[in-house]
Amino acid sequence: MEAFGLLMHGFAVLMTWKIISLMVVGLVLGIFVGVLPGLGGPNGVAILLPLTFTMDPTSAIVMLSCIYWGALFGGAITSILFNIPGEAWSVATTFDGYPMAQQGKAAEALTAAFTSSFIGSLVAVMLITFLAPMISSFALKFGPPEFFAVYLLTFCSFVGLGREAKHKTVISMALGLLIAGIGMDTVSGNLRMTFGSDNLLRGINFLVAVIGLFGISEILLTMEERLALRGHAAKISLRTVLKVWMDLPKYWVTLLRSSVIGCWLGITPGGAIAASFMGYNLAKRFSKDPESFGKGRIEGVFAPETAAHASGTAALLPMLALGIPGSGTAAILLGGLMVWGLNPGPLLFVEHKDFVWGLIASMYLGNVVGLVIVLTTVPVFASILRVPFAAVAPMIVVSCAIGAYAIQNAMFDIWLMLGFGVVGYVFKKIGIPLAPFTLALVLGSRAEDAFRLAMIGSGGSVGVFWSNGLVGTITTLAITLLFWPLIDRAFTAVARIWRPTPVTT
Amino acid sequence: MSNTDLEIIVEDPTAPEDDSPSVVSTRTVEIIASLVLLALAIVLGFDNWRTGIAWDSTGPQPGYFPFYLSVILGGASLYGLITTFFARSGSSDTFVTRAQLRRVALVFVPTALFCLATQFLGIYVASFVLIAGFMRMVGKIALWKSLLTAFVFTAIMFVTFDVAFDVIMPKGPIESALGR
Amino acid sequence: MSKSIRATAALAAVFASAPILSLATSPATAWEPTKPVEIVVAAGAGGASDQMARMMQAAIQKNNLMKAPVVVSLKGGASGAEALIYMKSSEGDANKVLIAYSLIYMLPLSAKIPFNWRDLTPVSVVAMDQFVLWDNAGGAKTVKEFIAAAKAASSPFKMGGTGSKREDHVLTVFMEKQTGAKFSYLPYKSGGEAATQLVGNHTEANVNNPSENLEVWRAGQVRALCVFDKERIAYKTKVTETQSWNDIPTCKEEGLDVQYLMLRAMFLPGKVTPEQQAFYVDLFEKVTKTAEYKDYMEKQALKPIFLKGPEMLKFLEEDDALNKSLMTEAGFVAK
Repeated sequence: MEAFGLLMHGFAVLMTWKIISLMVVGLVLGIFVGVLPGLGGPNGVAILLPLTFTMDPTSAIVMLSCIYWGALFGGAITSILFNIPGEAWSVATTFDGYPMAQQGKAAEALTAAFTSSFIGSLVAVMLITFLAPMISSFALKFGPPEFFAVYLLTFCSFVGLGREAKHKTVISMALGLLIAGIGMDTVSGNLRMTFGSDNLLRGINFLVAVIGLFGISEILLTMEERLALRGHAAKISLRTVLKVWMDLPKYWVTLLRSSVIGCWLGITPGGAIAASFMGYNLAKRFSKDPESFGKGRIEGVFAPETAAHASGTAALLPMLALGIPGSGTAAILLGGLMVWGLNPGPLLFVEHKDFVWGLIASMYLGNVVGLVIVLTTVPVFASILRVPFAAVAPMIVVSCAIGAYAIQNAMFDIWLMLGFGVVGYVFKKIGIPLAPFTLALVLGSRAEDAFRLAMIGSGGSVGVFWSNGLVGTITTLAITLLFWPLIDRAFTAVARIWRPTPVTT
Repeated sequence: MSNTDLEIIVEDPTAPEDDSPSVVSTRTVEIIASLVLLALAIVLGFDNWRTGIAWDSTGPQPGYFPFYLSVILGGASLYGLITTFFARSGSSDTFVTRAQLRRVALVFVPTALFCLATQFLGIYVASFVLIAGFMRMVGKIALWKSLLTAFVFTAIMFVTFDVAFDVIMPKGPIESALGR
Repeated sequence: MSKSIRATAALAAVFASAPILSLATSPATAWEPTKPVEIVVAAGAGGASDQMARMMQAAIQKNNLMKAPVVVSLKGGASGAEALIYMKSSEGDANKVLIAYSLIYMLPLSAKIPFNWRDLTPVSVVAMDQFVLWDNAGGAKTVKEFIAAAKAASSPFKMGGTGSKREDHVLTVFMEKQTGAKFSYLPYKSGGEAATQLVGNHTEANVNNPSENLEVWRAGQVRALCVFDKERIAYKTKVTETQSWNDIPTCKEEGLDVQYLMLRAMFLPGKVTPEQQAFYVDLFEKVTKTAEYKDYMEKQALKPIFLKGPEMLKFLEEDDALNKSLMTEAGFVAK
C-alpha cells in the first residue's frame, strides 16, 4: 500500500487555493480549446505551454494536465451538438451522439459522454496509480514487431465494418496511407512522393488534414443545407444526469471493455483515436442489435468516449515512465517537463516523488472538478448556437486557419487545409467514409516503419510476428478480427445445424 | 421533462429553394472523383516505382508499400468507375442544386480569398476583413455590429496568440508598421 | 531533485524581477530584435537539440541577455530537413536562429535536399557532442566481448540509432569496417526511442549521445562501453552509483579505432546584416558563460567550445569535408 500513502501525500500537495484555482482555469481553457474546432488538445496545450514557464513544476503540470482533461471533455460537446468533432478522437462520438441530439436527447448524450469520459479516465488513473512500475516494464516488451501487430489490430478491427460500399472504404484507407507516406521515409532516409516540392518534404500533418476534412468541410455542408447549424441546445438538469447514471450499470460490459481497450492502447502508443474507434466498433460488433448503432444509441456514446479518455490518460504513463509520449498531447507535455528541468524516465518516479504523485493526484481531482464544470456549463458553451451562423462561420474558419498554421508555422498548411476541406465535402457527399482516412493518416507511417524495422531485425522473415506469445497473440487476434464476418457466418451456420435457435455471442 | 432540450433552428431567410435545378448529378461527380483518384494513383505509383519497389535483404524498399497502395487505390477507383458507369438506376441523384452551389460558393470563395489575403496581409487583418465582410454581406447583419464583432474577435486572437503567448502567426505590412 | 526544484525556483524569481533588471542593462550592440526570436530545432521534442534549445531559452531569459522573448520551434519533419528548408526560405529574417548539428552536411548528400549551409549565416559553434557505444546492462561487459558476440551471432545483431544514413548509421558502418562484425542497423525516430528499445532488449546496442541515454544509464539499465573520441570525457562527478563520464574508456583504448564528434552550432538565415550577425555572436558568447550552460554541458557530457568568425568558417569547411568523405566511404551519398 505504499502507493496509497504516496497518493495521499500527493493530495496534500495539491490542497492549496492557488493550485485549485489553477485547476479550474486550466479546465475552462481546456474546454474552450476543445470546443473550438481546429484548436483541440495538442494545439491548445502547445499554445498554453509558455504560460506555465514561470510556475513551479507541480503547479505547471497541474494546469497543463487540466487543460488536457478540459480538451478531452470539450471535444464531446461540439461532436454531439454540432456534429463537428473538436478532436480527432471525438469522431466516433458523433456517430451516435449527434443522432441522439437530433432526437432531442442532447442532454442525455452529453451526460453520457461526460460520465463515460470520467469513468474512462478514472480507470486509467487507478491503473497508473497501482501498476506504474509493472506497466513500465511491460511497455519495454514492445519492439517493432509488437508495435506493428498493434497497428495491424487497429486497422483490422476497422475493415469490413462500415455501412459504406467496401471499395469506398478501401479507397479511403489507401489514400490515407499514401498521404501518410509523403515526405521522408525514416527507415531508408529517402524522399518519396514529394515531386521536388519543399512543402511536401515535411509530409502532410494529420492535424492539418483533420482540420480541413472536418472543420472546413462541415461549414460547406452546413451552408448547403437549410440553414445553418442545425444544433441542439441542451440544458442538463439534475434529473437527466441521475437518469443516465441509473442506467449506467446496464452498460458495464461496454464500459469495462472500452476502459481496457483504452488503457491498453494508451500505454502502447496506439493513441486515443484508435482507441475510440476500436471501442465503438467492438461495442457494435458484440451488440445484440448492431443495426441500431449510428442511429442514436447511448451505448454508441459510452463506448468511444470511455475508450478515448482511458487512452488519453493512460498515454501519460509511458511518457512519465519511459519518456515515450503515447499521444500528440503527451509529446507536448513531455516538452514541458524538460523545460521545468525534469527528465522523464524510470528514475522520475524515484527522484521526483512530489511531482509524480502530485500529478497523479491532480488527475483524480481534475476529473472530478472537470465533471462538475462541464455538467454545469454546457448551456454556456452550447449558447454559441444562438449566435447567427453568419458570424460563427467566419470565426470557425479563422480558428481553423490559426490552428492549421500554428502546427508547423507554414502558410502552405493553410492551403492544404482548404484543399482537404473540399476533399472532405466531396467525399462526404459521395459516401466515401472519412474515418478510415483519418486513421490511416495517423497510424500509416508508424505502422510501416514498425513493419520494416521488424523485417530488418528478423532478416526479412515474416515469422517474427509469431515469434513470442505477446506478438503472436496480437497478430492472430488482428487476423481473426479481419475475417470476423466470415468466421461469424460459419459459426452461425454450424449453430443452425445443431440447434434451431441461433446462438448469440 | 420536455424542456430539458430545446432544439435551436435559427431561421434562414435565404434557404436554398427545394425546386432549384440540379447542376450536376452524384453519378457524374463519382465518375470524376474516380478518374481523379485513378490519375493520382498512377502518378504516385509511377513515382514510387522509380523510388524502388523491390524487397531486398532488409525488407521492403521505400517505394514498396506506397506502390502497392497506389495499385490498390487505382484498382478500387477503377472498380468504382466501372460500377458507377454501368449502374442503371439509383445513381442519378442530384449532387448539388444551383441554389446550394451558390450558397456553398458564398462560404468557399471568401474562405479561399481569406487564405490568399493571409499570405499577403497577415492573418489578423485577413480575419478582420473576413468576419466583418461575411457578417455584413452574407448575414446581412448591421454594419456596426459586423465591424465590432470582427474587431473584438481579431483583437482577442491577437492578444492571446501574439501578445500573451508569443505564438508566431503570419503577419503583414500593417503589423510591421506598428512594430510587431 | 532538490537541485532542479531550486533551479526552477530561481528561474521564477528572476522572471518576476525581469522588468527591473531590464532597465539596468545597457545596449551592447546597435541592433536588437524587437519581435520574439525563434530557436529552430531540427529534431523532435525531447531530443538533444530540443533540450539544448530550451536550456538556451532559459539561460537567455533568466540572465536577461535579450529583451525580446525567445520561443523554441520544433521543425523535426523529414528527419530535420524541414528546419533546413525553413531557414533557407527565411532569407533576411534575423528573428530565427537554427541550432544545427551534423545534418547540415549529411542531409543534402543522402537525400538530395536542396540545401547548403553556406546559404545561411554562421553565428557560432557552441558545443561538441560525443557519441558513446552502449549495450544492455545484461549484455557484453567490454568492447572485445561485444565484438566477439556480434561476430558469433547467428541472427542479425541489432544496432539501434536515430535516422537513416546519418551520424549513428555512419558510426555503425565504420565499426563494421574496423571489426569485420556485421550489424543490422535499425533507424528509430529519436534517440529516446533507441534508448528504450535497447533497455527492452529489442536491440543489442546503440551509439546514442550521452544526453539521450543519460536517464537509463543512471537507472542501471544500460552499460557504456566506450566513447568515440580521442580522449575521455572530462567530467569526473559520479553520474551513476559507480561511474562518472570520465570512467568510460575511449574506443581506441579498447581497440576500436573509430572517432566522431558532432558540432552543435548556431546559424542565422542568409542575407542578414552584419549588425544582426554581431548581435547573435555576442548573445551566444554570453550564453556560453552562464551557469545554465556550464551546468548543462556537464550534465549532458558535452564538450564546451566557442568558435566564431573566420575560425568557425575554417572549422565548418574542414568538418564538412570530413563528413563528406565519411558519407562517401559509407556509401550513403545519393546518386
